[in-house]
Amino acid sequence: MTETGATLLHAPRADDDDLARLLLIRHFELALLDLFGRGELNGTTHTCLGQEYVPVALRRLLTEADFVFGNHRGHGHYLARFDDPAGLLAEIMGREGAVCGGVGGSQHILRDRYVSTGVQGESLPVAAGVALHLKRTEPGTLACVFIGDGTWGEGAVYEALNLASLWRLPLLVIVENNGIAQSTPTTRQMAGTVRARAEAFGVRHHGIESSDLSTIRAELAPLVSEVRIEGRPLVAEFATHRLGPHSKGDDTRDPEDVRQARAGDWYRLYGEADPERFARADEAQRAHVDAIVRDVSARPPSRWEP
Amino acid sequence: MTTLTLAKALNEGLRRSMEDDSKVLVMGEDVGKLGGVFRVTDGLQKDFGEDRVIDTPLAESGIIGTAIGLALRGYRPVCEIQFDGFVFPAVNQIITQLAKMPLRSLGALKLPVVVRIPCGGGIGAVEHHSESPEAYFTHTAGLRVVACSNPADGYSMIQEAIRADDPIIFFEPKRRYWDKSEVDLTATGLPLDQARVARPGADITLLAYGPMVKTCLEAAAAAAEDGRDIEVIDLRSLNPLDMGMVAESVKRTGRCVVVHEAPVFTGYGAELAARITEQCFYHLESPVLRVGGFSTPYPPSRLEEYYLPDLDRVLDTVDRAFAY
Ligand SMILES: Cc1ncc(C[n+]2csc(CCOP(=O)(O)OP(=O)(O)O)c2C)c(N)n1
Repeated sequence: MTETGATLLHAPRADDDDLARLLLIRHFELALLDLFGRGELNGTTHTCLGQEYVPVALRRLLTEADFVFGNHRGHGHYLARFDDPAGLLAEIMGREGAVCGGVGGSQHILRDRYVSTGVQGESLPVAAGVALHLKRTEPGTLACVFIGDGTWGEGAVYEALNLASLWRLPLLVIVENNGIAQSTPTTRQMAGTVRARAEAFGVRHHGIESSDLSTIRAELAPLVSEVRIEGRPLVAEFATHRLGPHSKGDDTRDPEDVRQARAGDWYRLYGEADPERFARADEAQRAHVDAIVRDVSARPPSRWEP
Repeated sequence: MTTLTLAKALNEGLRRSMEDDSKVLVMGEDVGKLGGVFRVTDGLQKDFGEDRVIDTPLAESGIIGTAIGLALRGYRPVCEIQFDGFVFPAVNQIITQLAKMPLRSLGALKLPVVVRIPCGGGIGAVEHHSESPEAYFTHTAGLRVVACSNPADGYSMIQEAIRADDPIIFFEPKRRYWDKSEVDLTATGLPLDQARVARPGADITLLAYGPMVKTCLEAAAAAAEDGRDIEVIDLRSLNPLDMGMVAESVKRTGRCVVVHEAPVFTGYGAELAARITEQCFYHLESPVLRVGGFSTPYPPSRLEEYYLPDLDRVLDTVDRAFAY
């Protein structure tokens, strides 16, 4: 991996559409925590605060024909693919208009070629299977799967990497390394590195330190084409930060660590780079999400019909 | 007597076991600093150190596998599976190694491993966080399977389980973690494989374990107002089963309803119904009936109340039993 702090080397940039999507996800997640705080939501949810830029960067590298497998921290994965905050919120709240009739909730979404699951690691072999089928029937498409650093503890990850490399599968593994799994820091749960693990299977690894969308896309574009065209699986590892608690109110981190994570927040970096445009976009998305929360909260319960 | 929540009673039981026997270890995901998602291991790492309270990587199969290795060397590991639905990556180790090794050695080899699993629904959590997987384990020879239902039992059963030389799957009803009651910290509880009459009664027997014991007690209290005298038995141990107590009760009352959260189809209740039919046939006034979950994935929180057996569903089934 490159040295940390590279994020600060030059000001990040995003066009209006990307910026709107980044901020949509940010305000969506903040709204969820607020709804929980007010007792309007219950159960388990994991917000991607701080990590929003990862799926947003990827959305222009992926096509509708690609499969995407999200994980438990998956609201951003979904919203980067579908501009459907109302459908997702309705799903989470079990209201009319829910993406999956309210049956999936926060972490089990199924829509077209998007699937998410809350069981760590188990989606990797499934993504490999989809990739095998895509390779045979729709050459040029790929399966993309998001996992956290902690999930590298699960054995299923390695079975999938072996298969992907052996069978030359168009599999793109996006690792959101936020330095922690629930309460356990990566240093206390991972021996060696993600890079060395990928390389042990002959799978190419690329580390990304930046939160600048254009830098990320420039780095990844040629590698992703190789995944598509040559069936050369890739592990792309983002050094990122989880700003919020693991779920709700369960942050055991040293406040100093959280402060450091906040200092590297893309939200701040983008805001400083272009304050006026950012403030306008930020306000617009805040209002947009507020309106969606009001709309969805007032809807009747979704109906669970096959 | 001390008033404790179930979570705290389990915590006290674990603490007592660790004080009594230096071979007792606690391991699992986020059990150390965080004290577990439900805080059942709260403070143990601070007091007993990182060598005895081990935060593991996210690796259920590895957790049970290493616990087996530790047990082979004389330790008594207590493993926490974070939620019911996450035990499945560990099932291979549990079934092919943990359950089978002692059996294969005809008992020469002991594996005193306790696998603690917060189970069941009722907390508004989603799929994987609300399941009742007990029947997978009761079906596996070589495992003891127990479920506590209240703080006093939580305190004594966890200690009994840790003292036992067998592999034990230990279910904790997560919706009851915050329920409080009196616990005598000096008492020795019932032997682990004994059931308990939670409420004596003469007209019909309700069989339950874990989270449904409380539901059945509430149902019995409501039925008492209508003049119906329900006996509630808390099975506590699912394997081995205290069939003596079950048969005695059903022969006396002549009617029986089994209640569990797990899906009814080939659930634990099916075994109970079959056994009772065999052993109490001439005493039965009605077939053994079952109340339980449906054969679907665990539903989202909004639909939980329709999925989980509640007082009404239990009493409706009791009525059906009397209608025969
Ligand atoms: C098989 C399995 N075991 C345990 C869990 C409970 N759990 C949910 S998220 C999580 C931590 C995941 O850490 P990581 O992969 O680093 O992703 P992050 O939460 O940091 O995004 C745990 C232990 C789970 N979802 N699946």
